[in-house]
Amino acid sequence: MRPGARSLAHGRWTPLWFLAPAVLTLLIVGIYPTIFALVTSFRRYNITRPRDGFPFVGFENYRAVLSDQTFWDTLSRTAGFFLTVIPIQLALGLVIALLLHRPGWGFLRALARVSLVVPLATTYAVVGLLGRLVFNRDFGVANWFIGWFGFQPVDWLGSPSLAFAAIATMDVWQWTPFCALIFLSGLSMVPMEIEEAARLETRSPLALLRHIQLPYLLPGLTAILILRSADVLKLFDMVFTMTRGGPGAATELISVYIQRVGFRIFDLGTASAQAILLLVLTIILSRLYIRFLYREISA
Amino acid sequence: MKTVLAAVSALALLAAAPGPASAQDWSLEKAAAPYKGTQLNVVFLDRPGYRAIIKLLPEFEKKTGIKVNYEIVPYENSREKQVLNFTAKGDLTMALVDLVWIGEFAENGWIVPVETFTKDAAITDPKLNLPGFFPLLLDAFGSWGGKVYGLPFDNYSGLLFYNSCKLKQAGFDKPPATWDELLKTYAPKLTNADKKEYAYALQSLRGETQSADSFMRVLWPFGGSLLDKSFRSNLKSSASQAGLKFRQDLMQYMPPGIVSYDHAEAVNALAQGQVAMITEWSAFYSTLTDPKTSKITDCLAVAPEPAGPAGRLPALGGFSLAVAAQASEKEQKASWLFIQWATSEEIAKPYVEAGGVSGRMKIYEDPQIRATYKFVEPMVASWQKGVPEFRPRFPAWPAISEVVAEWGTKMMLKEVSTEQGADEIGRRMEDVLKKEGYYDGKKPLLQ
Repeated sequence: MRPGARSLAHGRWTPLWFLAPAVLTLLIVGIYPTIFALVTSFRRYNITRPRDGFPFVGFENYRAVLSDQTFWDTLSRTAGFFLTVIPIQLALGLVIALLLHRPGWGFLRALARVSLVVPLATTYAVVGLLGRLVFNRDFGVANWFIGWFGFQPVDWLGSPSLAFAAIATMDVWQWTPFCALIFLSGLSMVPMEIEEAARLETRSPLALLRHIQLPYLLPGLTAILILRSADVLKLFDMVFTMTRGGPGAATELISVYIQRVGFRIFDLGTASAQAILLLVLTIILSRLYIRFLYREISA
Repeated sequence: MKTVLAAVSALALLAAAPGPASAQDWSLEKAAAPYKGTQLNVVFLDRPGYRAIIKLLPEFEKKTGIKVNYEIVPYENSREKQVLNFTAKGDLTMALVDLVWIGEFAENGWIVPVETFTKDAAITDPKLNLPGFFPLLLDAFGSWGGKVYGLPFDNYSGLLFYNSCKLKQAGFDKPPATWDELLKTYAPKLTNADKKEYAYALQSLRGETQSADSFMRVLWPFGGSLLDKSFRSNLKSSASQAGLKFRQDLMQYMPPGIVSYDHAEAVNALAQGQVAMITEWSAFYSTLTDPKTSKITDCLAVAPEPAGPAGRLPALGGFSLAVAAQASEKEQKASWLFIQWATSEEIAKPYVEAGGVSGRMKIYEDPQIRATYKFVEPMVASWQKGVPEFRPRFPAWPAISEVVAEWGTKMMLKEVSTEQGADEIGRRMEDVLKKEGYYDGKKPLLQ
């Protein structure tokens, strides 16, 4: 073996070979499509009009997106959706995590942890189809449930505000377990001796949570916010199978609108500009979460 | 229409012209011999017409040695899948063309006119008989700009399906003949909201169901239309407004949440006795007569859609099969053989018996078919006269359909009035048409 070849296979090049498959895969499935979308966003790119060509149009697509009222309407509806579901998911997730963190109930706790994975493992489209059944006016579980409290059956998917509540409920059902599991892992990082000492100091669970456990939950909270922000901005399958964005535009979130522009009208230039703007928004939100919420914990 | 008829006549002459193979000599087996082993690819839907042809497919494959690979996709994804395949020069050798896609597919050169193949007598069945299709179907589903591209394969007409037992109980021995009669005479007597019983259901889920099945259905019979002759919005005309207001008046006799009803929900509402009448595609007949899916098999009756002030102009929909331009020459010829076979007069009867709805006129003259299938008579009546551009078939329709679907639903929910909704749709629709070049003379006003 030549000395040059040997130095390429060993020594300081070794990490490169280990990293190469992951980097290559990332380049193919992540970076290349993103760059393609970025380039497309500067072109007039409608694949159902191949005869018009795909010329560069500068910032025309971005101008069109930013002056499109529907874009802003769907974006603010998405923000409303995020602000509706996130507090509920965080609160319920924390309660579940605290319950599972309590000593005792060994078998039940193990069972609960496993069942928490079920909604997470369910495909979004299937969650939407389940939603159509759950919120069916005539035989859905939702009307049966509110009937216990003396309410008349309502038409969940046919009324704008109730349809919004219905998709929010399905999102809460699917993602509360995720929050619970992240919080649970945070709680399990609290050193046993500190927690036990604190329990001797105070009998208030709230004080324990505030002063001992909360610092350990913040990194998880940041992760949840980053992941859920990105996720809500690209939430499509569940909404599409459940309501197709209707009735009217009541459940048309930004991703449903982008899909409509991209794959119904096939205006990929405009759709790419919309997607790039969302990417920028996601990055800004992530930076803000990290800046204001994230704290390193030293055990 | 005239240009299409002229084209069809010319093609019929061409097809009948003596060529290397005469009518006696020609057989599918012989014609297919050079293409044995060819693989064809096509997109199918999960609907009765496709299940019927799949049932008959082994016969074609045995006779020809040509293999037909089909992928069943939901309607909502079928255009997207095909457009991406054609732009990426994929593997589809045939196009399944909904009537509203014909302009887009033809103008982009994704499908091949049938005259390319009818010139070749070796691969054209002498019994092709293009004039044997209902002219309305061949014109609407398969033709664009005076040329025939596809042959009608999965054919629908809007029909009035009704529960004759419920109508009898309410004192009616026949279905409503007009929309006005349906609203003013039938609907009040057939609605009892306390018992969750309603007179009528109009599938109106946002998407093509709202824009095509619900919105357009109330425009034409009332003398309205989406566009006027110069391709400007016609939705503010008194006739169009009358149709849209009629739909609003009808809401009180429809189940709550009708804006979330797709075809399945509307058909199911009739099948389970929740509503007394629906206007749906003929293709759903088999669902409503199947005891597994319907409680009203004994009470089911079918009639043409009610007439409006402008006459009976029922919903028109359906799919043609066309040869894909991206296929190789061999695949194109084999595809042409398949399309002719699948839409031929010869297999029309087994196709109908397997649950399909043929576009051939001759099959519906068969007394046995007329006696067995209640939908035949009203459907044939509906196909005698209709509007090919019931929904515009130009390439801009998908973009306009999205606008109509959004604002049409908002009108039904009374979030906006019919006038406000018409203004919003009109403005956005004209923006789309302007970008397409219809207002600066760049494009002929074809729909």
